[in-house]
Amino acid sequence: MSILKVKDLSISFGGLKAVDKLSFEVKENSIYGLIGPNGAGKTTVFNCISRFYTPDEGKINFHPRDNKEYNLLDLKVYEVISKGLVRTFQNVELVKHLSILDNLLIGMHTTTKGGIISQGLKLLNVRKEEKRIRKKAMEVIEFLGLKGLENQLAGSQPYGIQKLVELGRTLVSEPKLIILDEPAAGMNSNETETLSKLIKRIRDEFNITILLVEHDMGLVMNICEEICVINFGKKIAQGTPSEIQNNPAVQEAYLGKGEVSC
Amino acid sequence: MNILKNKPIQYILLGLIIAITPFIFNFQRGTLTMFNTVIIYSIVAIGFNILLGYAGQISLGHAAFMGLGAYISGYLTNMGIPFILSILIAGVIPMIIGLILGLVALRLEGHYLAIATLGFGVTIQQIFKEWTSFTNGYSGMRGQPASIFGFSFRSRESFFVLAIVILVLLSIFAYNLLKSKTGRALIAMRDSEHAAQAMGISLLKYKLIAFSISAFYAGIAGSLYIHLIRFIEPNQWGVELSLNLLAMVVIGGLASIEGSIIGAFFLTVIPDILKEIPMLGEIRNLSTILTGVSLILVIMFLPLGIARINIQIKEKLNNKNTKKTALNQ
Ligand SMILES: Nc1ncnc2c1ncn2[C@@H]1O[C@H](COP(=O)(O)OP(=O)(O)OP(=O)(O)O)[C@@H](O)[C@H]1O
Ligand SMILES: [Mg+2]
Repeated sequence: MSILKVKDLSISFGGLKAVDKLSFEVKENSIYGLIGPNGAGKTTVFNCISRFYTPDEGKINFHPRDNKEYNLLDLKVYEVISKGLVRTFQNVELVKHLSILDNLLIGMHTTTKGGIISQGLKLLNVRKEEKRIRKKAMEVIEFLGLKGLENQLAGSQPYGIQKLVELGRTLVSEPKLIILDEPAAGMNSNETETLSKLIKRIRDEFNITILLVEHDMGLVMNICEEICVINFGKKIAQGTPSEIQNNPAVQEAYLGKGEVSC
Repeated sequence: MNILKNKPIQYILLGLIIAITPFIFNFQRGTLTMFNTVIIYSIVAIGFNILLGYAGQISLGHAAFMGLGAYISGYLTNMGIPFILSILIAGVIPMIIGLILGLVALRLEGHYLAIATLGFGVTIQQIFKEWTSFTNGYSGMRGQPASIFGFSFRSRESFFVLAIVILVLLSIFAYNLLKSKTGRALIAMRDSEHAAQAMGISLLKYKLIAFSISAFYAGIAGSLYIHLIRFIEPNQWGVELSLNLLAMVVIGGLASIEGSIIGAFFLTVIPDILKEIPMLGEIRNLSTILTGVSLILVIMFLPLGIARINIQIKEKLNNKNTKKTALNQ
């Protein structure tokens, strides 16, 4: 059963076709990789799915549960998270002047109850909510191995930690599908190793489907079960890691870059 | 002593202490009027800081909301409507009009929003001048002393107590709000619109909230103003006041409730003191010059405002990057 179906997706900027009739399906509970050389259109695909961009053509359907189906194109960008789909950004987008804990609380924005007046008066229901979301955020902080850092400013953390905080912010929203744009960018090999394990645990322990874009082929080949390769916005290959590694079209697309060797 | 670390309790205690000082020391009437206006500007500045410091939205037209609050409250009390009801309406109507600016802010950003809000402010001021049946135009509107359940706040001392009670209540409300969901959403919108949207924060909703809350605070302050000074005229509510509000918040400290109050104090009291100094006192527009100079100095040397002076000095000494300091208290 597919949790995400992208069909004939196309979008262009001026004369440039950034994504060209791209179709792929992500199976529920899988770890799916979307790869391709720089400028291939990967982030643009993510921007269409998460509704930052509206594609010129194509369909994007999301099935978080058996009996639910959403046409994502019907949703506004800020409505996507409440349906169970959440993303991270290639160039970390954190709320820099808030603590790590507060950043995670923002991930629970849509599920936090309480109107403006009751927040201003700090009524009992608001106090209870704050307690509930803090507890939940602390659990995730512990899961990520960031305990002790919760009150540190997000913006003053090293890049690797900021990436983890962004991942944590997606987790607290209890999503069904997380899309990660280059989660390992800027991480050293130890950090990447830890991240691979975390992503696997997120899928195994929380049953969350993962769709990721990544240039680190070690990580992709290691954790992804299915991979889609795009170049100039078009799909050039699809399959399991070993199929992709032995695919001549993929090798050609990456030729001279040596990124597929691992 | 843990209870003293609770901000709302600090506000109440500090408010109490400041409210009784006029009953202990003998201030001149003029000095007390000035202290009262400090409190009134503190209220506008807190609202404006929610907009500029927390939500990251600019407005150069907020004097219009304060003026509107003043005219509405003056008009209603002159018609015999109780002060309590009038001050509420004087907050709510600007709040509703603030929504219009929120809609504008969804389409415009930065410089363009600044220019649009400037235009809004000028337009409203023009309406104050022309709509004489409501505002009495250039002849000005007279106001009555505030009175609650028959008690009239006629003396400067009693008005000071009233103004401080309202300031403390609105400070606590702002503090609680900013420490919960709404505050986090506003700060998220300021720091990263992308992150905010991906986390389910509607920019439209929170821009509307920021503009309308700040307009509410301005309207309440305007109401207090007319019942304190008991006279207003259209020229008071122009660009100069809007820029002063901006300066108060920047000088006092962006995204800081205390900073808003410090800024209001600084820009109201210092010009008054300088006026008394023989040579300086003769310079015309002294307060405008002071505002401009302090604004430049603060932006250059204390970008986080007077309220965070200690952190900034510490960081300068440690040679660290000041940008990393929290903008969230
Ligand atoms: N908003 C935009 N306006 C104009 N062009 C854009 C826009 N967004 C993306 N593009 C263009 O679309 C193409 C695909 O960009 P995209 O960011 O999706 O690539 P990518 O595969 O994520 O690359 P990388 O691996 O470097 O992150 C690029 O040529 C880019 O310049
Ligand atoms: Mg990209």
